[in-house]
Amino acid sequence: MTSPGAVTYSGAAARRILLRPATTVRSLSRSLPTTAARPLTTSTSTLPSRQQTSPQPQQRPPRHLQSRTYHSTTHPSPPGPFTQAETPLLTTALTSHVPLHGFTLTSLTLAARDLSLLPISPSFLGPSPVFRLIHYHLYSTRTTLSSLTAVHSASLSGLSPPEKVELLTWLRLKQNEAIIPHWQQALAVMAQPSHVPTAVKELALLADEIYYLAGDQSVDPSWYTKRGGLSGIYAAAELFMTTDKSEGFQETRRFLRRRLQEAEELAGVAKSVGEWIGFTASAGVNVLRSKGVRI
Amino acid sequence: MAAARPALRRAIPSLRSSTFLPHHHQRPQCLHHHVTISQRSLSTSSPFCNDTQTTTSSPSSDRETHFGFSTVTESQKRQLVASVFTSVADSYDKMNDLMSFGWHRIWKDHFVSTLNPGFAPLSSSDPSSPQHILDIAGGTGDIAFRMLHHAHTVNSNPNVNVTISDINRAMLSVGKSRSAELPASQQAALSFVEANAEDLSKTRPLTPILSQSEQTFFDPATATSSIPDNSVDLYTVAFGIRNFSDIPAALREANRVLKPGGIFACLEFSKADRHPLFNSVYKEWSFRAIPLIGQLVAGDRDSYQYLVESIERFPRQEEFRDMILDAGFKVSGQGWEDLTGGVAAIHRGMKPRV
Ligand SMILES: C[S@@+](CC[C@H](N)C(=O)[O-])C[C@H]1O[C@@H](n2cnc3c(N)ncnc32)[C@H](O)[C@@H]1O
Repeated sequence: MTSPGAVTYSGAAARRILLRPATTVRSLSRSLPTTAARPLTTSTSTLPSRQQTSPQPQQRPPRHLQSRTYHSTTHPSPPGPFTQAETPLLTTALTSHVPLHGFTLTSLTLAARDLSLLPISPSFLGPSPVFRLIHYHLYSTRTTLSSLTAVHSASLSGLSPPEKVELLTWLRLKQNEAIIPHWQQALAVMAQPSHVPTAVKELALLADEIYYLAGDQSVDPSWYTKRGGLSGIYAAAELFMTTDKSEGFQETRRFLRRRLQEAEELAGVAKSVGEWIGFTASAGVNVLRSKGVRI
Repeated sequence: MAAARPALRRAIPSLRSSTFLPHHHQRPQCLHHHVTISQRSLSTSSPFCNDTQTTTSSPSSDRETHFGFSTVTESQKRQLVASVFTSVADSYDKMNDLMSFGWHRIWKDHFVSTLNPGFAPLSSSDPSSPQHILDIAGGTGDIAFRMLHHAHTVNSNPNVNVTISDINRAMLSVGKSRSAELPASQQAALSFVEANAEDLSKTRPLTPILSQSEQTFFDPATATSSIPDNSVDLYTVAFGIRNFSDIPAALREANRVLKPGGIFACLEFSKADRHPLFNSVYKEWSFRAIPLIGQLVAGDRDSYQYLVESIERFPRQEEFRDMILDAGFKVSGQGWEDLTGGVAAIHRGMKPRV
C-alpha cells in the first residue's frame, strides 16, 4: 500500500473483482479502467469484511497515473479516470463556482484563476471541459459515498438491506443539493451522444456502489436486474429533485420511497428504466429548446 | 497572359530546388518535399494572389533570360513566389484530404473550437492580459486563422494575438499572402516568425524571399531574436510534429516558452489500430492507394509515399503522451482524444505551476 503507485481503492467495481472466482478476475480486469488493475485494498472500516483473493499479476499502470498515494478514508478515492493534475481545477470549480455559475466553462475559468492558472488552462481537460466537470461531480460524489456511510454507520446498522439502499440513495441525492439549480443543464450535456456512454456507466457504478455499501453480496443474475432497477429509480429521483421546492427536499425523499417500494413489489424495474429514459430525454430536449436549439 | 506561363513554369524548377530541399536534413522536412507544381494549378487564378495575372501579363520579351521577373517590382516578385507556393499549399490540402478522407478540415475546426482561444468569463472584472498563441509549423495559416476567428469573432475577444512560426519561409509566405484576406483587426494581431521548432531561442521575423536562389529553410545563424521563457498561453502544432527530427527537443522548447498554466496542443495523424478491421482497411488504403493516387494525380509518388511512411513512423498515442509527460507537461485522463477512429489524434497538455 505504500509502495509507489499503490493506491487504496474503495470502489465497488474493484471489490467486485476481489469477490469473483479467480478465473474470472483476469478477464474482468481487462475490461476495467487501468486504475482498477492495480493493487487493491479496501480501507473503509465499516464495510463488511471481505476475503481477498490472492493478488493478481499486476500490470504496470500508465505513467501519468503512477506515484499516487491515498491513505485517507475521507479523501475521495483515487481519481480513477482523473489525473492528479486535473483534480485541483475540477474540485475548485465544483466547490467554489458551480453553485453560482453552474457546470460551465465560466466556473472552470474562475477556478483556473483561483489557482493562478490561465484562462486557457481548462482546455487541457479535453474536448469538453464542461462534461469533464460533470463527470467529476458524478465520480467524486459516488466515491465519497463510502465515507458518508461511515459517518452514518449508527443509523444504518439497524436497517434491513432495502432500507439501507433507500438511505444510501438518499444520501447520494443530498450530495446534489448545492448544485441542484444547475442539474437539468448538466443532464442536457450528459444527453449529448458522445457523453452518454460515460454518464450511463457512472450511473451503473453508482447503483453498484450503493448495493455494495448496503451489504448486498449476491453475485447472481438477479444482481444485474436490481442494479438496473436502482439506476432507473435513482435517475428519476434525481430529476424529480430538480423541480422539488419542498423543505429539505422531502417530496423527493417520498418519491424515492414510493419508487423503491414499487420496485420491491416487482414489475417496477423495466418501467422505471423506461420512464427514466423518457424523463431524461424530455428534460434534455427542453433544456436544449430553451437554449434555442430547434428540436 | 498566356505568354506569362512559360516564364512562370521555368521559374519553378529553381524554386523547387532552392526551397524544398532542406540543406542539412537528410529526410524531407515535410510532405511537400518535392511536390510537383502542376501547370493547371498555376494557370488557375488563386483567390490568394489576385495580382499575379497582372504582374505577369506585361509584355516583355526578355523574360526567358530573367525567368520573367526582371520587369516586376520586389513586392510583386514576392507575390509571385507566394502564388507558386499557394499551389503547393493546395497540394497539401489534397494530400491531407486523401489521408483523412476529407476530414482534416473538420478536425482543424474541432481542434480550434475545443481549445476555445480567447474565452473569458463575462463576470470576471479584472481586464485579462492579452492571450498569446504560438502556432508552430503553422505555414499556411490554417490553424492560426481559425484561432483568430474563434477568439475575435466567436468569443468577441480582440485581446488575442497569434504568431505563426515555421521553419520554411516559403510556407510562411503563403500564410502571409493568404492573411491579406482577413479583416484588418485580425491581420494586426498576426505575426510571422521563422524558427526551427526544436530551438525557439533562435528566430527572426519573416523576411521576404527576394531571389529564387535563396535558401528558404531557416538558418539559425541568421537569427535576430528568440521566443522568451514563459511567454505563451497556447502552443499549437497541427500536422507538423511528425516532420521534426527531434520531437523531444521540440516538446522541451514548447514547455520552456509556455507560461505556467499554458496549454500544449497537437493535432496529428495517428494510429487507428483500436479497431482492427478499420485499421487494416485504412492501412491498405494508405500504403497502396495513396501513393498510387499521388502518382496518377500529381505525378509524384515519392512525396505521397513519404507522407504515408512518416505517419506510420510516428509514435502511437500512448507513447506520444508519455513523451509529452517527459517534457514536463501534465495531462487530463489518458491525455489524448482520438478523431475518426484514431486516424488522427489530439494530445493536450498543461504546463504546471511549480
Ligand atoms: C503539413 S505542414 C502543416 C501545415 C499546417 N499546420 C496545417 O495544419 O495544414 C508541416 C509544416 O511543418 C513545417 N516544419 C517541418 N519541420 C519543422 C521544424 N523543425 N520546425 C518548424 N516547422 C517545421 C513545414 O515547413 C511545414 O510547413
